[in-house]
Amino acid sequence: MAELLQIMVAVVAVGSLYALIALGYTMVYGILKFINFAHSDVFVLGAWVSLVLSVMIISALKLAPGSSPPLWIAPLVLIAAMVVCGLVGFAIERLAYKPLRKAPRLNVLITAIGVSLLLQNVGQLTGFAVAKDDDGKTIATVPFGPSPKRMPSLLPETAAPDPNLAKPLVLIQPVDVFIFVSAIVLMVGLQYLVFRTKFGAAMRAVSFNTETAALMGIRVDRVISVTFVTGAMLAAAAGFMYALKYPGLNQTAHETWVLLGLKAFVAAVVGGIGNVRGAVLGGFLIAFIEFMGMYCFSKYLDPVLHTNMGTNLRDVYVFAMLIFVLLVRPAGILGSQLKEKV
Amino acid sequence: MSDYLLDVRGIGISFGGLKACDGLTVQIPTGGLHGLIGPNGAGKTTAFNLITGVYRTQMGSVTLDGVKVDHLRPHEIAKAGLSRTFQNIRLFSELSVLDNVKLACHCRGRHTLLGTLLRTPRFVAQERAMTARAIEMLDVFSLQHLAGEQAKNLPYGDQRRLEICRALATEPKVLLLDEPAAGMNPSEKKALAQSIKLIREQFKLAVLLIEHDMGLVMDICEKITVLDHGCTIAHGTPSEIQNNPKVQEAYLGEPATA
Amino acid sequence: MSGELQQLVPTMMPSAARALLKGVALPVASALVLGLVMQFVVGPAIGAYPASVALQVGISVMLAVSLNIVNGYTGQFSIGHAGFFAVGAYVGAGISYYAALSGIDPASGQQPSQALSNGAWLVWNDGQNFLFSYGEWRMILASIVGGCVAAGLGYIVGLPSLRLRGDYLAIVTLGFGEITRVLLTQTKPQIFDRDELAATHAKDWVIPPMGGATGFSDIPAYASLMWVWFFVAVMIFFAYRVKQSSTGRALLSIREDEIAARSMGVNITKYKVRAFVLAAGLAGLAGSLYAHTGQVIRPQEAGFQRSFEVIIFVVLGGMGSISGVVLAAIILSILPEALRDLSEYRLIVYALLLILMMIVRPKGLFGVREIWEFWPFTRAKKSEKKVITP
Repeated sequence: MAELLQIMVAVVAVGSLYALIALGYTMVYGILKFINFAHSDVFVLGAWVSLVLSVMIISALKLAPGSSPPLWIAPLVLIAAMVVCGLVGFAIERLAYKPLRKAPRLNVLITAIGVSLLLQNVGQLTGFAVAKDDDGKTIATVPFGPSPKRMPSLLPETAAPDPNLAKPLVLIQPVDVFIFVSAIVLMVGLQYLVFRTKFGAAMRAVSFNTETAALMGIRVDRVISVTFVTGAMLAAAAGFMYALKYPGLNQTAHETWVLLGLKAFVAAVVGGIGNVRGAVLGGFLIAFIEFMGMYCFSKYLDPVLHTNMGTNLRDVYVFAMLIFVLLVRPAGILGSQLKEKV
Repeated sequence: MSDYLLDVRGIGISFGGLKACDGLTVQIPTGGLHGLIGPNGAGKTTAFNLITGVYRTQMGSVTLDGVKVDHLRPHEIAKAGLSRTFQNIRLFSELSVLDNVKLACHCRGRHTLLGTLLRTPRFVAQERAMTARAIEMLDVFSLQHLAGEQAKNLPYGDQRRLEICRALATEPKVLLLDEPAAGMNPSEKKALAQSIKLIREQFKLAVLLIEHDMGLVMDICEKITVLDHGCTIAHGTPSEIQNNPKVQEAYLGEPATA
Repeated sequence: MSGELQQLVPTMMPSAARALLKGVALPVASALVLGLVMQFVVGPAIGAYPASVALQVGISVMLAVSLNIVNGYTGQFSIGHAGFFAVGAYVGAGISYYAALSGIDPASGQQPSQALSNGAWLVWNDGQNFLFSYGEWRMILASIVGGCVAAGLGYIVGLPSLRLRGDYLAIVTLGFGEITRVLLTQTKPQIFDRDELAATHAKDWVIPPMGGATGFSDIPAYASLMWVWFFVAVMIFFAYRVKQSSTGRALLSIREDEIAARSMGVNITKYKVRAFVLAAGLAGLAGSLYAHTGQVIRPQEAGFQRSFEVIIFVVLGGMGSISGVVLAAIILSILPEALRDLSEYRLIVYALLLILMMIVRPKGLFGVREIWEFWPFTRAKKSEKKVITP
């Protein structure tokens, strides 16, 4: 029981991350009807910007060795990462996607792949130093360099319970709570923006029919920009939280990032792409499938097969889920089938 | 068995709460020429999309030459002998004029991957036959001299005629024309009316025509159905329609329909 | 009214001998000529290292030509092409390697363990067994099996996703490639010992011993310049024939306008799947040949990096243009060799090129047309000729 509860803690934390990234995919798809392939790279950017900023702040504070960093760093870095990624998202939309507003969707898709490649590979250039440790050794660079780095821990950690305890405890780290709370705050904020404000109404109008919305006096370009920026900021927040939870960050063109972005996209599809609530639902569902898949495979199949790959196949479960959803309900759980006009 | 070549009975669809087409019945005998008119947004193109299977009908039935086709997919309906043109021209713009027509011969051919890769005698013969057929069809529309041109480079009127030509190359029993005269000048319209009549004679098929130009419709159609807001409001010969008060009412205050 | 076309067909049948000559003998002969020229003229002329680059260039061309059938002709966007490549590579390598390990290599007459240690498996390279080594033919067979397995997977992946809107294919194929990579890392360690191999049971092959994350090595290097370029030529012939056929027109019509294509009687799902399966199969074949070029194959072959590289060939060369794509693949595979110092920037430049190309010349360098169609005289002649043909 405790084992399952422990899994649920991970599901909630990781599900929040997926949901945050999926929101960006789904919002852009809702408005421009294309998959923003570069979205997952914005998420990666968010994670790496958080790492560099944290390292810079901590080294500037010159903390006494062994002391934990002050708590205010975390929200500060979060906001800074969101701002940086928001700006990058704005630039991407203006420079790469806006010239293609009237182009076939295939071209936009190719451009998105181009932007994705660009972000990945610029991100792992050998950068110039922005922070050095006491010995004068470079510890953070911009861009981020071709090798993995470690995010400093910004939140206190609960010590793991004694494994020999008769009744095993469920361990909830502060980082899990932080992720869940801030994800919920951001998602509620987004719900408010989309469904309760005038600007949200404009977004929904553009999503429904761009031309008509333009004729009604909505400034479509501005709506699209804001949508991109919002999506990028949510991705940045997810990136920051990911870096807190899994501090060993791979270089930006590493395969693990692609799979993470892919899973978030699957979340958006499963929930119903274009549907904001669906993305949140999908995020948690995908995390659930992923962790339950690992648990069940390791527990029941690995002993039979004499293997030890239950956890290594975590992405496979999610992908199987995607195929299943595409076969059974192609529009996703909360999505509606689109009709093409003839 | 019905006596009609195309027998459309009470088809309809609604999008959300909007009944875009509600219980349309159109029956055309072999060689018939039937007009479908109505103000903008009356559901004419929706009716075409229902008949050709682009949308699934939610009610009613479509029978083509005694075969029920309303649950077939669009390509199966095309193969059954129902071909159409589009209101906003949908040619394969990057392909040559000849290839556009040859593609339409596709549904009458047999295509295997192995034959294609090895160029078996059957494959070669079929390709030749397609080319011959396509040239023949282009000749009917005097487009032969443009065969090698990309479709997108054709003047507007030629594009419209090429679309009809392409539709005919599928060897249809019934031809559905969606506003073929849109954007044409009076003399072009006259020529078009002539060729529609000619097509009907030469290929022995039934035609269902959507058109906004009343002169054209009244001139060539034997029967006319008038739609408004998805409903059939009148049905009859051109003179009956012209004197129908309901039709006049529907068209009043609709200056954009001419 | 119906069957007018079919009535015409029998009257236009060419003679069987002529069809066989033009349909089979001509392409095989010219492919053989290209292969032999590459092997015995170009190879020795450019030296050992450039010759090994030429092998890889051939593989790139095959990948580009095959992906072009899906992304170029049909306008569907697959971004997991490397997945099929890797599947073909592993299947082909598995067959070749374990078949060789389980028996005496007839080419050298040696036990595999000896053969491995003195490099005699590279029979091709000693030049004595030209076209007559048993292993080479086994490689061809293994490659065809690899291609078939990849094609089968293509069917499984393509069928659900090709029924849906275009973008889903992109994401499903990307997922497929990455999942293939993950699954390949989970394979068991490679077996190097003959007795150990003999002692395995069927259940040991449920998860095949393909080397896991460390990769699959010591694959007999039978894929010489001759074979690689022979298959390059065959694939180009295939691709060209598909393009110039009713099937090809159906594919192009799907790319141009799906709704019009359906209304003209094209079963678009069937043709999309057909294109996808064909492309997957050819990629699998290319993969198997790659495995036989003396490389250690690793799960990374299936990853998105390789897929993206192929996409770049296709997009830059012109989506649908065989000659454009071949040219792009050749240039872009040789260029990194020339600019080794700048390898860090290579993908950045590619990415910028992609973005720029979409803004400036969205159909790629040559669009759907072939290079020679841009020659002003040929174009004029071509349209003239088309009118006269019947």
